[in-house]
Amino acid sequence: MLAQYVVNGLLMGGLYACLAVGFALVWGVLNIVNMLHGSMVVLGAYFCLVGVQQLGLPLYAVAPAVCIVLFAFGYVIQRGLLNRVITQPILITLTLTFGLELIVNNVILNVFSATPRSLAVNLGTLDVWGMRIPMVRIVGMLVAVFLTLLLYWLLRHSKMGRAIIAVRMDRHAAALMGIRIPQIYALTFGIGALMAGAAGCAMALIYPVTPMMSGVFLGKAFVICVLGGLGSVPGAIIGGLVLGLVEGLGTLTLGPQWATSVGFILMMAVIIVFPSGIAGKKGYE
Amino acid sequence: MLRWKFVAAAASLGLLTATPALAQDVLKLGAPLALTGPLADAGAKSKQGYEMCVSAVNEKGGVNVGDKKYKLELVEYDYQSDTNRAVQIVQRLINVDKVPFLLAPYGSGDTKATAVVAERYGVPMMAAAAATKSIFDQNLNNLFGILFPNRMITDAEVAYYKKNIPELKTVAVLALNNLFPKAIAAELVETAKDAGLDVVYNSIYSPDTTDFSNVLTQIKALNPDWIYVTGYTQDLIIIRKQMADLGIEVKLLTMTAGPAYPEFKDNVKALAENVTTNSWWHQNANYTDAFLFGSSQKYNDAFNARFKRDATYLEAAATVSCETLVMAIEEAKSLAAADVRKVLRSKTFDTFYGPVRFGASGQNDINAALVMQIQDDKLIVLAPENLKQSTLRIGVPPKK
Repeated sequence: MLAQYVVNGLLMGGLYACLAVGFALVWGVLNIVNMLHGSMVVLGAYFCLVGVQQLGLPLYAVAPAVCIVLFAFGYVIQRGLLNRVITQPILITLTLTFGLELIVNNVILNVFSATPRSLAVNLGTLDVWGMRIPMVRIVGMLVAVFLTLLLYWLLRHSKMGRAIIAVRMDRHAAALMGIRIPQIYALTFGIGALMAGAAGCAMALIYPVTPMMSGVFLGKAFVICVLGGLGSVPGAIIGGLVLGLVEGLGTLTLGPQWATSVGFILMMAVIIVFPSGIAGKKGYE
Repeated sequence: MLRWKFVAAAASLGLLTATPALAQDVLKLGAPLALTGPLADAGAKSKQGYEMCVSAVNEKGGVNVGDKKYKLELVEYDYQSDTNRAVQIVQRLINVDKVPFLLAPYGSGDTKATAVVAERYGVPMMAAAAATKSIFDQNLNNLFGILFPNRMITDAEVAYYKKNIPELKTVAVLALNNLFPKAIAAELVETAKDAGLDVVYNSIYSPDTTDFSNVLTQIKALNPDWIYVTGYTQDLIIIRKQMADLGIEVKLLTMTAGPAYPEFKDNVKALAENVTTNSWWHQNANYTDAFLFGSSQKYNDAFNARFKRDATYLEAAATVSCETLVMAIEEAKSLAAADVRKVLRSKTFDTFYGPVRFGASGQNDINAALVMQIQDDKLIVLAPENLKQSTLRIGVPPKK
C-alpha cells in the first residue's frame, strides 16, 4: 500500500515539475516573479481543449502548436512590456505581471466561461505489483519530465541556452561578450511561456480546467521553486517530486485537510534551513 | 424670432417635465454576484436565474404595488467570490443604490456574512443558494431562504438507499472544507448513524486540492459499500476520474451536487453512469405556477430557449427567490419592508419550484427532496415515489 502512495506522489510530482520549470527559468534568468505564469498554464490548457474538442485535431498535433503560440505570446509580452521595466526593482515587474495576470485571467473567463472543461481521455491503467497506475498520468508525467530534461540539455548545450545561462550568471559580462540582452530576455520569457503551455496541455488531460485554477498553479510553482532552488531547472524537477510526495504522504498521515498546507510548511522550513533551496545556487535566493 | 425661441424653450421644458411622468417607476433589487473567482460558474448560474425572473415579471407589465406598476431592475455587482467584498457590496447596495430588497450572494458562507448586514439595515434578503441550518438559526428577521434544510435531503437519501439496498452497511464520507459541504456531510453522517450504518471514513479536504489519489487509496482499503463526496463540481470530476484510475468499485457513489449539473457528465463521460446525487428541484417535478411561467416544465422550456440548456435547481432557486419576493410585494400592496416581511412570513407561495413556506427561521420548510441518479447519460429522479422515473441501479461502475 505504501508503494501505491509513493507512486501517486511521484506521478503528481512529475506534473508539478513541468508546471514550475518555466516559472523557475524566468525567475532565475530575468529575476522576475512571474505572476502571469498560472494564467499562461490555464491559457495553454484552453488552447488544447479548443484544438482537440472544437477543431477536432489530434492532441499530438495540437500540443506543439499550443507551445509555439504560448512562446510567441511570452516573447511579445517580454519584448513589448517587461523589457521596459526589467531594470526596475523586483516589485515593479511583479506588479506588472500581476496586472497582466488579472487581464489575461478575465479575458479567459469571458471567452471560455467558468464551467469546468477537460479532455476525457482514458488510456487504461497499468497494474504492477498490486499497484494501479493510470496511463494518462504516466504519459502526462513522462512528457512533462522529458520537456524539462530537454530544456535542461538545451540550456547546457545549445548556443542560445549558453547565452541564457551567461545572462543569468552576469548580465553585464554577457553584454560585453556581444550577447543581445533584450533578445535573450524575450527568448527566456517565451520559453517559460512555452513550458507553461506544455504544462497546460498535460493538465487538461488530467484535470477539469477552469480559469480559477491559475492561482492554484501559481502557488504550486512558487512552492516548488523555493523547495528546489530559485532559478534552477533541475531544482524544479526535484522540488516538484518532493512536493508531490510530501502532499501525498501528508494526506496519509495528517488527513486530506492538511494536504495543501504541508507544502507551504515545508517551504518555510526549507527557507530557514536551506535559503538557496535543495538544488539552488547561492546568490539566487 | 424671439417668439420662436420662446415657443421652442417652452416645448423643451414641457418635454423635460413630461418625461418622468411617462417613465415607469423602477423597483431595484440588489444582487451581489460571484461573476469571477472560484464561484464564478455558480455565480453565472444565479445571474441567469435572476434574469429569468426579472424579464418574466417585466413582460407581465411589472410589479403591481397597489395601483402603481414598477419595472423590476437588477442592480448587480461582482463580488469576485470574496466574502469581504460581498459584505462591502451589500452595504453599498443599501446605502448608495438605496435598494429596498436584496438577493443574497451564492452559498451558505457568503449568505451568512451578508445577511447580518441586511439585518442591521432592516432590508429583506432572499437567499437562493444557502441550505445550511446554522445560517437561519441566527434569528434574523430579514433573511428568507428558498432551499429547504440539508437534513431533509440526507434523510431522504439514507431512507431511500437503505430501503433499496438492504445489504448497505458501511459508508465513507469526504467533504470540502467549506460551510455547505461540511454541513451536509455532517448531516449525512448523523443520518447514516441513526439508520444503523457504520461510518468507516469521515474526513474533509482543503480547497485547492489537486490530487485525491492518496485519500481515495485510503478509502479503497476500507472497502465501503457507499462513498459519499461533497465539494465543488471540478473536485468531484477529479475524484470520479481518480476513483476509476484506482479501480475503486462500490455499490453506491453519491456526489453532492455536481452530477446535478450537465458539466459533470460532459467531463467524466461514461464514468458518470450510476452516480447518484440529490437536488432541491428538477423540471420533472412539474409543479404548477399561476404567477409566472405556468409550470416547472414551462420554466425549463423558457430557460432552455434563452440559455440553450436545461435549468438546474440553482437557477430555478434564484428565479423563485425573486418571484416569491415579487408575489409578497404585490400581496402586501406596499414596498415597505415590514409589510413585505409580514407576507413572506405568513404565506405559502405556490411556484414552479414547488410550494415555498418560510418557516419560523425564515428557511423554506416544505420538504421536496429529490434523490437522483445518472442512468444512460440522463439525470433521472428516483424518489419521491410520485415523481419517480426509474429504479435505483446498484454498482459504480455498472456491472457488465
